[in-house]
Amino acid sequence: MKTLAFDSTNAICGAVFLILGGFFTYQSLTLDLGTALRMGPGYFPLLLALILMLLGIVVLVQSVRVSGEPLGPIALRGMAFILPAPVFFGLTVRGLGFVPALFFTALIAAFASSRMKPTMALMLAAAITLFSVAVFSYALGLPFQRFGPWVRF
Amino acid sequence: MRRLHLTRRRALAAGLSLAATLALGSPVLAEGFPDRQITMVVPFAAGGSTDVVARIVAQKMSDDLGQQVIVQNVAGAGGNLGADNVARAEPDGYTILMGTVATHALNPLILKSTPYDAEKDFAPISLLVVVPNVLIVNPELPVKTVAELVALLKAEPGKYSYASSGNGTPLHLSGELFKSMAGVEMEHIPYKGAGPALNDVIGNQVPIMFDNLPSSSGHIKTGTLRGLAVTTKERAPSFPEMPTVGESVPGYETYTWNALFAPAGTPPEVVARLNDAANKALADPAVAERMTEFSATIVGSTPEELAAHVKAEIAKWTPVVRDAKIQLD
Amino acid sequence: MELFSNLALGFATAASPENLLFCLIGVLLGTLIGVLPGIGATATIAMLLPITFQLEPVSSLIMLAGIYYGAQYGGSTTAILINMPGESSSAVTAIDGYQMARKGRAGAALSIAALGSFFAGTVSTFLVALFAIPLTGIALKFGAAEYFSLMIVGLVSSVALAHGSVVKALAMVSLGLLLGLVGTDIYTGTPRFTLGIREYADGLNFVAVAVGVFGIAEILRNLEGEKTRSVLVQKVSGLWPTRDDFRRMAAPVLRGTAIGSALGILPGGGAILAAFASYTVEKRVSDKPEEFGHGAIAGVAGPESANNAGAQTSFIPLLTLGIPANPVMALMVGAMIIQGIVPGPNVASEQPALFWGIIASMWIGNLMLVVLNLPLIGLWVKLLTIPYYVLFPIIMAFCSIGVYSVNSNVYDLYAVAFFGLAGYLLVKLRCEPAPLLLGFVLGPLLEENLRRAMILSRGDPTTFITRPISATLLLIALAVLVIVFLPSVKAKREEVFQEED
Repeated sequence: MKTLAFDSTNAICGAVFLILGGFFTYQSLTLDLGTALRMGPGYFPLLLALILMLLGIVVLVQSVRVSGEPLGPIALRGMAFILPAPVFFGLTVRGLGFVPALFFTALIAAFASSRMKPTMALMLAAAITLFSVAVFSYALGLPFQRFGPWVRF
Repeated sequence: MRRLHLTRRRALAAGLSLAATLALGSPVLAEGFPDRQITMVVPFAAGGSTDVVARIVAQKMSDDLGQQVIVQNVAGAGGNLGADNVARAEPDGYTILMGTVATHALNPLILKSTPYDAEKDFAPISLLVVVPNVLIVNPELPVKTVAELVALLKAEPGKYSYASSGNGTPLHLSGELFKSMAGVEMEHIPYKGAGPALNDVIGNQVPIMFDNLPSSSGHIKTGTLRGLAVTTKERAPSFPEMPTVGESVPGYETYTWNALFAPAGTPPEVVARLNDAANKALADPAVAERMTEFSATIVGSTPEELAAHVKAEIAKWTPVVRDAKIQLD
Repeated sequence: MELFSNLALGFATAASPENLLFCLIGVLLGTLIGVLPGIGATATIAMLLPITFQLEPVSSLIMLAGIYYGAQYGGSTTAILINMPGESSSAVTAIDGYQMARKGRAGAALSIAALGSFFAGTVSTFLVALFAIPLTGIALKFGAAEYFSLMIVGLVSSVALAHGSVVKALAMVSLGLLLGLVGTDIYTGTPRFTLGIREYADGLNFVAVAVGVFGIAEILRNLEGEKTRSVLVQKVSGLWPTRDDFRRMAAPVLRGTAIGSALGILPGGGAILAAFASYTVEKRVSDKPEEFGHGAIAGVAGPESANNAGAQTSFIPLLTLGIPANPVMALMVGAMIIQGIVPGPNVASEQPALFWGIIASMWIGNLMLVVLNLPLIGLWVKLLTIPYYVLFPIIMAFCSIGVYSVNSNVYDLYAVAFFGLAGYLLVKLRCEPAPLLLGFVLGPLLEENLRRAMILSRGDPTTFITRPISATLLLIALAVLVIVFLPSVKAKREEVFQEED
């Protein structure tokens, strides 16, 4: 990467700011802007989105002047298992209920590391579930159904 | 499997109930209900007046039903999120809603699209309490009565602003109704909830506000705020000296109410059981005492009365919302 | 002397065996939920409200208050240990506290946080006792224009939070401000940037965003170089602060206490700003500003003291006006009403035992917390030696429960995943999450007050400079801007050649 004449990280970063700024600009323009004296819902965000785009351009321009560190390794396996865990919990907590949803959430997250063995993962997920049910459901009394309609017969 | 099981049980229960009604002339309470905890959804944040009413009532209902009635706050979109959750819940009586004038009368009128139908998607259980609103001003505003306020606003149109707990809330509409009925001009300043609005009225950043009586009664008693009038037809028992807005602006009446709803399709005997528990809770002297301190008036009702009440409220607010031209996305 | 008789009454009330017990239960529960990532005080207090029905009013409020400041203590613990701030104020602690932990100084960071918090708690409790009523008057002078100017001070200061590129920090603040605007516009009811998802109508949940950009991003970062390490921290050196540490924390704690006490009084955002403001000040006055972001002691001591002082003084509007400064306070108002106490200015005169009892219990609770937490530090630090592949599933499970328990909104969980990804990408792009989070908190307040001030002044923008408090604040912002930017121009040039890090 050092052979490149620009800092690739900052170039991507500038581009990301530009895209995000563009998205918010576009969205703000669909809203009523109003006037400076009587601002509509789109006025303030449009201002911010334009500033964001401007800063994106500055970062982009600066990136050409120096070479920087490369991005480095990306935790692909981590992303593949850590990020779906809360999503799974969200999708199933009402249907499956608190206990099974949490068990599988912990199980999914456990596989984020290549060091985790399947039996260990199962045991860990079970232990987390037991602890959480005792603390959150019984002791703190959070209003979750322990078993939801999908598993109640 | 589950569907079938449910419908069969429901049909059986309905048949039994019909037979019992014919035989005894009174609705029999659902057999075996409840056999697990009931969730009462409060569509607003914990700590607000609806939440407090829910918690006081849920506590007593638990005692009567023999199962825990737990309060779950599902706040968002002016109460619509929580109401929608209950509308789509299993109609078995285990998920019920603490509805308000906002979820069952105002939101459907104000919003371009509401995810649920306030009448068709719910099985009314019971009206619980009615909470008066109050017209308050900062003591530095040189008015002592509603008539003086109207005169001041007419003398200097557009100079004064009033605060509310948010766009399209019952308190905002109370203000808009007042503007149109009294023929005055005030600028509306919405806040995120009644707390910050009240703060700015006490600090005289905004001089006028419509508030729920419970949240400002302490300030009226100590004089940090001046209560001009309550918005109900009758004077509030906790403030017998304070006139009503209607005494100066004939016909003016607004209030906030709380009522329990189940999802449409809930078996009538389950609704009857919940209605019975709710009304027993309201009859409890400790509950009555709390509600009075809170300036809420206990009403209670049958499911049919609540259905009629919702219909009447929608009919009452329709022209107000139309005239005030409040339309939200 | 009226104050002494009042305080005597307060301590007599708070020190009854029963109230001591409830205070202890409160701080224990608070510490527990604070330490569990994602679980906030709001959810716990909401759950406990029905229980308070059966208790004496004083006891129940003492317990709820204990949960509140106990959670503040516990929240700092997770911020330091695993970079997972549970409350907005501990987001600042995470910046340098977590870096200290990574260098094996978790014990020292935790002790500094605990001792700083205790000192700040003690001082601010007495401030509450002495000045609660006159201070209320100042808070009431803050209208929309003043809040807007205060937010500007906060934003300008936020640039100092960054230890990398100033331009990137500004971009992160702007992005944070925009994210803060997601939801329904309160003036017109128009949904903004919600992508048509009704569940986001009330905006993105702070806990979801914070857990995502700080905690999850950090987990992902640790999963990168799997082959080389298996625990978060290899060696743990010295559980307790050294003599040198104590010397270096004294001044930041004093300054943090002052800043926190002052800003905590303002309802709506004051307490949040306190920790950020303290960090800025410390970085400014430090003779080694380059240490900040890499485990500076002052970067933990100052904000932690400010945060706890702010937490105590934020009771002032609640106690004197009955007006809640944050959702936890709103729940306490609910608890009072359930108990038949109408919150308002009359509480102090009509219920002196309750009013002064709560104040006295705050100090007792702080003492309990410090006594409880110091011995626990050894245990917390041991947590870091758990292999991370065991730790992470636990964190993910607790996060999921915690975020869901706030509003029972499953979309908050999807937001956690989204912001985890976004936070990780931003870290990879060498952007820092702290300015983003500050922008996120300030965004709605800034816009709301700007527009409100303009409506109230009927469109006259001079309102911001003709109102004296607002004008003073804007001058402060200008001064900060000058101080921050002048030396940073020089630093910038060096950075071009050296690059960040």
